[in-house]
Amino acid sequence: MAAPTWITGSAIVTTVSMLDVVRRVRRSLILQIRIRALVLALGAALSVWLVLDGMRIVLGHTAVPTAMAVWLVGITFVGVALVALLVARRVARHVDDARAALWIEERSTAGVHNSFALVTLIESLSAGASVVASAVPTTVSGDALTTSAQTILARIALPVALRASARRQLTGPALFAAGAFVVLLAGAVWRDDALTASRLDSTRGSPSAMRAADTAFGMAPLGSWTVRITPPAYTGQPAWALGNVQSVAAVSGSVVVVEGAGVAPMHVVERLLGEAADTLPVAQRTSTLVATSSADRWQLRTVARALPVAVQLSRGGRIRQLLIEGRPDSIPAVALVQPARDSVFRTAEGRLPLVATLRDDIGLADARFELIVSSGEGERFTARTMVLGSRRLRGATTGTIRETLDLAALKLMGGDVVHVRAIARDAYPVSAREFGSSETRSFRIARAAEYDSVAVEPAPPPEVDRSLMSQRMLLMLTEKLNRQRTTLTRAQLVRESMKLARDQARLRQAVGDVVFQRLSGDASGEHAHTAGDGHDHGVEQQQGKLALTGSNAGGVLSEGDDSPIIAINQPLLEAYNAMWDAGRELEQGAPKAAMPHMRLALAAIERARSAERLYLRGRPPTVIVDIAKIRLAGKDTGITNTRTRRMLIPPRDAARTARLIAAAQLIERDAAAARDTLAVLRVEALADAPVFAAAVGRVLDVLAQGGDLTPAFLSARRALGGVLRTEAGVWSREVPR
Amino acid sequence: MTLRAGVHAEPFVFATAQYESGDWDSAPMVPPNVIDSIARYTELPVRPQGVTVPLSSEAVFAYPLLFLTGHLPVRFTTREADVLRKYLARGGLLFVDDHNHDVDGAFHKTVREEIRRVAGPLVLLPNTHELYRSFFVFENGPPTTSHEMNGWGDNLVHEQLDAVLRNNRIVVLYSNKDYSSEWSFHPDNKRFLSVDNTKFAVNLVVYALTR
Repeated sequence: MAAPTWITGSAIVTTVSMLDVVRRVRRSLILQIRIRALVLALGAALSVWLVLDGMRIVLGHTAVPTAMAVWLVGITFVGVALVALLVARRVARHVDDARAALWIEERSTAGVHNSFALVTLIESLSAGASVVASAVPTTVSGDALTTSAQTILARIALPVALRASARRQLTGPALFAAGAFVVLLAGAVWRDDALTASRLDSTRGSPSAMRAADTAFGMAPLGSWTVRITPPAYTGQPAWALGNVQSVAAVSGSVVVVEGAGVAPMHVVERLLGEAADTLPVAQRTSTLVATSSADRWQLRTVARALPVAVQLSRGGRIRQLLIEGRPDSIPAVALVQPARDSVFRTAEGRLPLVATLRDDIGLADARFELIVSSGEGERFTARTMVLGSRRLRGATTGTIRETLDLAALKLMGGDVVHVRAIARDAYPVSAREFGSSETRSFRIARAAEYDSVAVEPAPPPEVDRSLMSQRMLLMLTEKLNRQRTTLTRAQLVRESMKLARDQARLRQAVGDVVFQRLSGDASGEHAHTAGDGHDHGVEQQQGKLALTGSNAGGVLSEGDDSPIIAINQPLLEAYNAMWDAGRELEQGAPKAAMPHMRLALAAIERARSAERLYLRGRPPTVIVDIAKIRLAGKDTGITNTRTRRMLIPPRDAARTARLIAAAQLIERDAAAARDTLAVLRVEALADAPVFAAAVGRVLDVLAQGGDLTPAFLSARRALGGVLRTEAGVWSREVPR
Repeated sequence: MTLRAGVHAEPFVFATAQYESGDWDSAPMVPPNVIDSIARYTELPVRPQGVTVPLSSEAVFAYPLLFLTGHLPVRFTTREADVLRKYLARGGLLFVDDHNHDVDGAFHKTVREEIRRVAGPLVLLPNTHELYRSFFVFENGPPTTSHEMNGWGDNLVHEQLDAVLRNNRIVVLYSNKDYSSEWSFHPDNKRFLSVDNTKFAVNLVVYALTR
């Protein structure tokens, strides 16, 4: 399109060209009207945006969501624009050629001495070009009219006039729109500065503060994310990605990367969970992370620890948390299958199979058997350590190592002890890493003299004391019988005396047993002998009495005069013989005659007993009685502690019960918050209350699936309270159908 | 039942008599055990540790009760006999226990002769004597010990004690029941007994202090 050719004051134009000029002016004026309408619409839209922004700042982000705000601004702009264009169109209808000519003539004459020549000419030309062109010169002094019109056009600089008109028309609306835009831009710049400052502020962390700050900055709510876990390199495990999950389990040291769309979350707080975290100072339990953003995505990177961690992210008034169940790399579990038990080997020969099973949660590096051989006795011991059956397992999670131990190769001696255990290491890249080991089995090589033992059974105590007791009682009974002798008949006296004689004979036999047992080891000395049978007790019976014989004729045994055997047996022999005499008298019904012999026997037994009685004791302890302690008056001040009611359940369980109930009540109002609470509860309980953690996990499953939560919550509550309920069985009163 | 001591009362001190002959220290745990019982059952002020007093010393006069035991023959020296005679005349009480619990034992025979020489003949003390009601009530007289029929000694249960009485008051109490063995254990082990076997010692001490 060619640029319009404006008629300057010096140009001579025809009527046709004047009509063309006027029409161009008309189009310019209409264009100005339309632009003015659009600028007004833009200003109105920006004003609405500004108002909404203010509302979001004052009332919070949720008062006017971002999407709604965008829609409102767009609708306002389009609506205002349409209305303005309609008005402009209506106005433009009235802007015809004559009005355009009048607009020119007013500016040409500055409103003074208007001749309306141009208006008249344009009206005549607009009414019908062919007719007017032919009629005007004839009817209305056409030349003069044309000349006047040309004069009018010549006096005005149309571009300048049009620019001035456009300036007047558009300045106000443009200022209106520009002002609204400037205010919006300034607000955006202020928000950006505050956002940056807030990210650098690590002291903030409370959900309410985060939510308020996010709301103030009018950011879009935090949406879904993806989680990528990269285990430590030593594990040899590949990285894996998860979707919009709430919790992840990762080996300690794994890199956890969380990614999402939009700007980076304004607040990211990492909080340690569990009982181990409770022992840390509060400042060490919580730390602030910074998420990075690029293009339209954000990314957060953290490292899984050996204990559960909750990463709390906040943006746009929405707080989400990601639970990272950090699991430490456990040391390998090793079990020694063979040998199955400790043992003693008679000889150091043969082959001993060694078998051990291995297991690790990540992967095994190597394993072997370790032997410690200790030799020597007394205070001289030596030990040597050996390794057998080393094997590289290259990351396998389970394994078995086998080896055969050649006992002869160990060159073991009697009394040597071999300790065997299996050892396994995982690939954890720390030199001081603890290794897993099995329990130790020990086997010993028997000494040569070890089997030459003699079983000794303890003998019952000697009968000496019992004899003494009975002899005294017999004597007392005999004395009593002797006192009653005058009141008894002869037959009664003999009958009672015979009873005592039988008891006396039994006692004599018992004493005789002691004598013979001590002398020769025989149980009884009263047995048959034949002459020259070589059976010599050192004593012999002569007419019922005992007498020392042969080498003992002088009463001296081989041990010498001071031998306790002599010291004991000489009185016992006397007692035995006195008992024999007493028994003979009693059998004859003469208790009075028996009493001297019985007294002799008693005295002899007492001598024998005294010879053995030794009073050996050490220095007695010095006992100082604690009088105050006995009288319960020690250090008691009389001040007692205030009694406190014992809690029904431990405080930790009580707190978890409260949180569980709070989560159950929260589900109706805010299911997401309840889910977060339950997830944290589950993770915290993993270490010390796995049953409860599993029950809470079932609640979360049901919550995700949308089923009835009541049984799951009941199960969790009972698990926390330690209530065990068995399923109804055949012995139940009500058998489930 | 408790006994309240006067505010200014001197604490009771359990004294063991040391004599020249024999083994006077054969029951070293009896004193702390008796002291424990005194503290446990009464409010008498009592010294937490007993003393050993030579019978030849007039220091015995400071102690209202003297305990004498042993296994071996007892022969008082002239000095010991004189001091003991004065002690009994001044109101002291001598408690003699036969550690052998043997009526034919050396201790029994010799100490009875010495008592007869110093204080006069021993007579059977009736089981209704106030000694058996001075604190605890022993309806059947002296409590039987577990050592009387343990196979040692005379293996007889002695149902009564012997005593030398003056003005109907016991000045010498003689026992064959072997309380020396019965009470000779560490008082901390008393908690293992269903019935405390040292209660009779409380009666003895209370009798010595109050009669």
